[in-house]
Amino acid sequence: MSEQRSTVSRTLTIGTVALAPPFLSLSLLLLVIWALTAHGGYFWPMWPYWALLLIVAVRGVYVWDHSRPEPSRRPFDALLGYGCVWSVALIAIWGMSGGSYFWPVWPMLGFLLVLGAPWIWGRSRTNRNLEVRVDELTRTRAGAVDVQASELRRIERDLHDGAQARLVALSMQLGRAEDRLAGKGADAGDLELVRQARMEATAAISELRDLARGISPPVLADRGLEAAVQSLADRTGSNVTVNAEIDHRPPPAVENAAYFVVAEALTNAAKHSTGAPVRVTIWHEHAELGIVVADNGLGGADPGGSGLTGLRQRVEALDGWLEVRSPAGEGTTVRAILPCQ
Amino acid sequence: MPVSGPERAPVRVVIVEDHALLREGLMALLTENGIDVVATAEDGPGLLRIVAGHKPDLAICDVRLPPTFTDEGIKAALEARRHLPSLALLVLSQYVEPAYSGELLASGESGVGYLLKERVSEVRTFVDAVRRVAAGGTALDREVVGSLMRERHSSEAAGSSPLDTLTVRERQTLELIAQGKTNAAVARELVVTLGAVEKHISNIFGKLDLPATDGDHRRVLAVLTYLRATGG
Repeated sequence: MSEQRSTVSRTLTIGTVALAPPFLSLSLLLLVIWALTAHGGYFWPMWPYWALLLIVAVRGVYVWDHSRPEPSRRPFDALLGYGCVWSVALIAIWGMSGGSYFWPVWPMLGFLLVLGAPWIWGRSRTNRNLEVRVDELTRTRAGAVDVQASELRRIERDLHDGAQARLVALSMQLGRAEDRLAGKGADAGDLELVRQARMEATAAISELRDLARGISPPVLADRGLEAAVQSLADRTGSNVTVNAEIDHRPPPAVENAAYFVVAEALTNAAKHSTGAPVRVTIWHEHAELGIVVADNGLGGADPGGSGLTGLRQRVEALDGWLEVRSPAGEGTTVRAILPCQ
Repeated sequence: MPVSGPERAPVRVVIVEDHALLREGLMALLTENGIDVVATAEDGPGLLRIVAGHKPDLAICDVRLPPTFTDEGIKAALEARRHLPSLALLVLSQYVEPAYSGELLASGESGVGYLLKERVSEVRTFVDAVRRVAAGGTALDREVVGSLMRERHSSEAAGSSPLDTLTVRERQTLELIAQGKTNAAVARELVVTLGAVEKHISNIFGKLDLPATDGDHRRVLAVLTYLRATGG
């Protein structure tokens, strides 16, 4: 397709360049005739020159129009090109014929009218198409974000019912084996081996739990944002107070994003505020969820850091808005607004 | 309070767990240790039927049960207790959330336990917890107690928390009491004498201004009430 186009444009260009030798010879011939016959009088060759230039210009516009890639080509551009060539040609005629009353203004105005009408029509059609496209993209993106949120909850549930449950069963069996061995007065080395295997299984369970919690915290799905944020604050262990007013549950995607905003902001606070009090405020009104996480720590968090950038992307995917203010020495404030459709 | 003693009546238990592997394992573990598993169920309605029929001492429940796999187990356990107030509850979960422990503790006077599932692998400790809860005691996972203590600590103005006045040993003792451990168990775990534990406890109750109580369960409740009370 694009190869075909470049072949066309090459043929056209070669065709245009091929015009040069006959046109140049013709121009020279005209000049010689004028020099031999007119003895410095009226320079009549300007009229055939004008005609030749006009042919070259029209040809040039044609080649330019056909040499561009298909998607960026609009019929309107070629029309504009030809219009410019004609306007310049008319002005040239006006100039060559003495330049009195500027009559080319009328054909040029007419041309503008002819050109303007389809331009305006084309613009309004483009706007309508854009509106339809924006609606479509908004709808499909919201769908994708919702699907992602429910997929994450499904993965968490699969981990819980699959690997985690099996590991619990394994650690239980190891515990029973250890207990029986101890009851039979088994060798201390054997007993220690089983005990270590049980500890390993327990450690794996604990790691898997942290992983699952990072994917989609179960308490968020079960009890909603307020309980999940409170649990997060408890686990963070620093000086965190939570003040949440959420009258009904926002969609899962919004809950997830809000949860991870608080989680990341608390992690950040723990890093930068060295035990200073942190306040988490969440409210839900006018179909919007607002979150503020503020600490009185040292400030100086990098808003371009990977954690905060990831958060911003998460929030913006929901048409939300996130702001991080962290002047050195004045604490850090993370603010986010999430629309709930 | 039943702490030990060879002539205990067998504890009658019902297990509610939707995972066959875990259900069977748990049943074998308890049976091996002289606990009478009277029935098992896979969901909340199953538990209610068994409770009505068998009148067990204790229900051991998973939190996530069909059909919604959210907190069905806690709801079913609380519902079962409404029908049979003497029923002790031991809830097992792969996650512990302080919010759930509050609901369980507030649900009545009989025994309550809330443990991470993997604690079943520490067979001796788990069986002790089962017996303790069945007898009206408390078994709270150390993770729950830890987060309650942090929460209590952070809700006080910095530096003025009565928890700060406790010595390291007293804090450790407080955590173990909150988990529902008896004095003897605390003494074993901290490798100190029973007398030392009693001394720590009287110091803790003095410093935190808690009323002196007799009985392990009331003592646990006093400590937990203190930890759960918000400072503001």
